[in-house]
Amino acid sequence: MTQQQTAAKAGDDGEPRIRVRGLGKHYGALEVFKNINFDVGKREIVAIVGPSGCGKTTLLRCIDGLLPHDVGEILVGDTRVTEPIAGVAMVFQHFGLFPWKTVSENVAYGLRMAGAPKAEIARKVPEFIKLVGLAGFENAFPYQMSGGMQQRCGLARALAVEPNVLLMDEPFAAVDAQTREILQFELLRIWQERPTAMVFVTHSIEEAVLLGHRVIVLKGRPSSIHETITIDLPEPRTRETLQHPRFAVLRERVWSTLMAEAREAEFVLER
Amino acid sequence: MNSSVTVAAAPAASAKLAAPRLPGTFWPRFIVGVVLVLGWEFIVRWLAPPYVAKPSTVLMAIPRVIVDPAFLTATGSTLAAVAEGLAIALVFGTVFGLFLGRSRLFERSVGHYVNGFFAMPMVVVLPLFSLWFGYSPATRIATIIFAAIFSIVMNVADGARSVPREYLEVSRAYRANKMSVLFGVVLPASMPYLLAGFRLAAGRALIGAVIAEFFLSIGGLGYYILYNSRSYKHSEAFVGVLLLAAFGVCFELLVFWATKRFMPWYRRER
Repeated sequence: MTQQQTAAKAGDDGEPRIRVRGLGKHYGALEVFKNINFDVGKREIVAIVGPSGCGKTTLLRCIDGLLPHDVGEILVGDTRVTEPIAGVAMVFQHFGLFPWKTVSENVAYGLRMAGAPKAEIARKVPEFIKLVGLAGFENAFPYQMSGGMQQRCGLARALAVEPNVLLMDEPFAAVDAQTREILQFELLRIWQERPTAMVFVTHSIEEAVLLGHRVIVLKGRPSSIHETITIDLPEPRTRETLQHPRFAVLRERVWSTLMAEAREAEFVLER
Repeated sequence: MNSSVTVAAAPAASAKLAAPRLPGTFWPRFIVGVVLVLGWEFIVRWLAPPYVAKPSTVLMAIPRVIVDPAFLTATGSTLAAVAEGLAIALVFGTVFGLFLGRSRLFERSVGHYVNGFFAMPMVVVLPLFSLWFGYSPATRIATIIFAAIFSIVMNVADGARSVPREYLEVSRAYRANKMSVLFGVVLPASMPYLLAGFRLAAGRALIGAVIAEFFLSIGGLGYYILYNSRSYKHSEAFVGVLLLAAFGVCFELLVFWATKRFMPWYRRER
């Protein structure tokens, strides 16, 4: 536990896994974000919050290499990211499961694309299906499962390639509130078993504070990092974390930062 | 006030819900069928010479025709040609359609030609094909392929164009190579379109085969029908016509079954 506690702290074990330096991005004439700088440690969860349309999902896609960036650079380990690289896996808000594949086949997809040998796939797929709690549903098709189960499958697919970076794009935004809460604690359990560098994009403040070791607040148009709030809650995070007095304080702090931004945005519109 | 409105509205609503009970589908269909068959039978009896086909003589011809070796050979020959032509059209049409749907350059360079060929009546290419390939089964195969391939190409291309972006994003994120995206993601995602194109193609292939046989006078069901109608054996010819209709129905059932068996997710995604 102590080991995990120290490991979970930002930058504690040497070099950061992800370095984002001076990142900027345009869509034609529209500048989405500019001058984004942050690091993510090897065993750190960084949550990114911001109002709708602030470009947090675009930022995540740039980090994955799915979208090109215009200025600055992204380093994962020593690799400059210009396209999706090995060792980075993404979990999508839309789940991104292939409807013609069963749970097993969907989970195997990343491994197959990475060229893993058949024996390895046969060994790993059941292991990760079990890890996300989908044992018994190996041969189910996505249409036969609830949204929560589909996202468990999406998570297993990402974990199966044993990435050292996990990028989460509002992964629980499309499931109902109870399922969302269950999945948050499932994710924490899994992360404690297999810690990685994680960037978690969400528009839920509670989710950001519960999961993140640091919370980055994106602000403005074009957006940039307004504030980075260190979440000094005790590890490991569990259901009790929600009752911790510090949790309420931090949630309030992120909330007021975001709301200040919202009020400013309103003001700008009125002018 | 409020409650009286609700009370007044309630009976009207329930009257709307209790729509008059429609009879099942069987009886209306059956009655129309009987009327058509009887009408045909009696009109031909009153007004036409005796060799013109009517339901009673067609019915009596069936047992005779289906054991006739000439008929069986003709049917086998046509079916084999249709199956062969369809298989070739399916494979090449699918690959061609996938590239057409996913490659901007390919679309720009050949898109209009495909539309042009699709619109071209297959009858007009037959004389040319018969010059190129002779009065032979090769011309029939060529006609079948020509008749079938473009509806597959166009449908698959449409399907490939409308693959949900999420699937492509996922495959890119997992670093799938281009061929694996094309055949592992775009192709299965286009399956509904492919099936629609294939069903159209099957009908057109059958027409192509029959027309080729008419024109080329090579053995087959089309030629059998032509030959018998010209030798005043209309009832025999009609058995061939009925068989062609039956093929259409059987093919439809086969596609339906195959969809349920091999694509259980189809129509249930999302």
